Amino acid sequence: MGMRNASLDELLNHYDIFDNDFVSDPFPLLDQIRESGCPIAHSDQNGGSWMPTRHAHVVAMAQTPEIFTSREVGVIGLSPESKEGPYGGVRVPPIDSDPPEHHGHRRAILPTFAPQAVAKYESITRDLCNRLIDGFIDNGTADAASDYAQRIPVRVISMILGVPFEMEDDFVDWVRGVLETGLIDREVGLQSRMKIITFFMQQIEDRRANPRDDDLISDLLRLEIDGQPVDDIFVLGACNLMLIAGIDTTWSAIGSSLWHLAHRADHRQQLRDHPDVWPTAVEEMLRVYAPVTMARIVAHDTEFEGCPMQAGDRILMAFPAANRDPRVFESPDQVLLDRENNRHVAFGAGIHRCAGSNLARLELRVALQVWMERIPEFELIDPADVTWKGGQVRGPRRCMVRF
Amino acid sequence: MCAIAAPDVFGSDEIGNAVVLIEGDIPRDLEAAAKRAEGNCPERAIEIRE
Ligand code: HEM
Repeated sequence: MGMRNASLDELLNHYDIFDNDFVSDPFPLLDQIRESGCPIAHSDQNGGSWMPTRHAHVVAMAQTPEIFTSREVGVIGLSPESKEGPYGGVRVPPIDSDPPEHHGHRRAILPTFAPQAVAKYESITRDLCNRLIDGFIDNGTADAASDYAQRIPVRVISMILGVPFEMEDDFVDWVRGVLETGLIDREVGLQSRMKIITFFMQQIEDRRANPRDDDLISDLLRLEIDGQPVDDIFVLGACNLMLIAGIDTTWSAIGSSLWHLAHRADHRQQLRDHPDVWPTAVEEMLRVYAPVTMARIVAHDTEFEGCPMQAGDRILMAFPAANRDPRVFESPDQVLLDRENNRHVAFGAGIHRCAGSNLARLELRVALQVWMERIPEFELIDPADVTWKGGQVRGPRRCMVRF
Repeated sequence: MCAIAAPDVFGSDEIGNAVVLIEGDIPRDLEAAAKRAEGNCPERAIEIRE
């Protein structure tokens, strides 16, 4: 089905975020829902869900974790198989932890991503970006998504975890297996999940035998929460999270931003002429191309803004829709690189707001700056040939440019 | 966000919640940074009173 031609009624009652039109250009559809009489739509597709689209509603729900829980955060329900077996208990803390456990889980990983802690990755990220560009600059063409954007966050996170980045293609495959293909194809989802868990099990055994003092896996193994040493299931979960939360998301943000710059000569010019605009430009890219949609599960029957919600209902936190709410953003569909006030929720809100945002912002800024230094002028080879993936994380997966 | 926009005004606690680092009036040289933090807080948690 093509959602673009759907009636408003169909959109409000049967929206499908995996529909091709929703993936390639969700914004007109999200606008229609947000500005309709029913800004919290309910669909019977993909197992059923509610979708708040206004900024105020999304923020209010994110701030009420007692009712809107994170026990499942996937936009489609987990398969029962993934909760079974000896590793069925491996989750993705703190993203799918609820209070009271959430606090300890978040506290355990947060120091790794403090502003001072991530600053030391700036020069390494810069070198990495330069080396990637060295590899294709003489060709005159490149896939901005798979030759560049895709390779940056996975290498940075490998370095933080202390795992070989030669395995980057495997990591990317596994993460896409969980977050993209695996949401629809359960078998792929399950296999990808098991590959991640098996890999980190081996890494944990290796660290037990050969402790290191300079990587996150070793740090996690030494950790205590409330005076108790953490168990392997928690360490496995936290490593699982680093791959899942850190790769697809940042890669998508870098890719969407390059896609934008490829067709906006005026913005390339503005960044060259006014480099002081970079900090707000990065926030604006995050606002207009917010890659992530997370879910919540309703704890008990409740009414929210007139919508009767039942225990177990799934909510899709449409951060990309909230980021274009005209009640909060002036000219929301215009990309203003120097936008002064930008209350975007690309990183979420409330207790779960992105713990890796300092690292994500750094990677996004450095990746775009290095590209613009080395390749100041570039364009899409064929706009119709760009492919997007969406659902949980939206971004370009193929984006051929020439320079 | 606020800790990046105005690092001399805001810090964060052990779970990443923002805390205000200064007491009383915002020094003049930090006013612009504090305003920037106010206008960029997604949760409208910052309010600067004259
Ligand atoms: C542009 C890139 C990124 C975006 C747009 C993004 C977005 C988000 C969002 C929307 C949430 C909130 C989830 C919710 O409310 O359920 C979140 C949580 C989280 N993110 Fe990110 N993220 C990005 C990059 C990263 C990176 C690089 C890391 C770390 C390696 C990371 C680690 C986390 C963690 C640990 C949480 C869970 C925090 C908690 O539950 O307390 N993210 N992210």
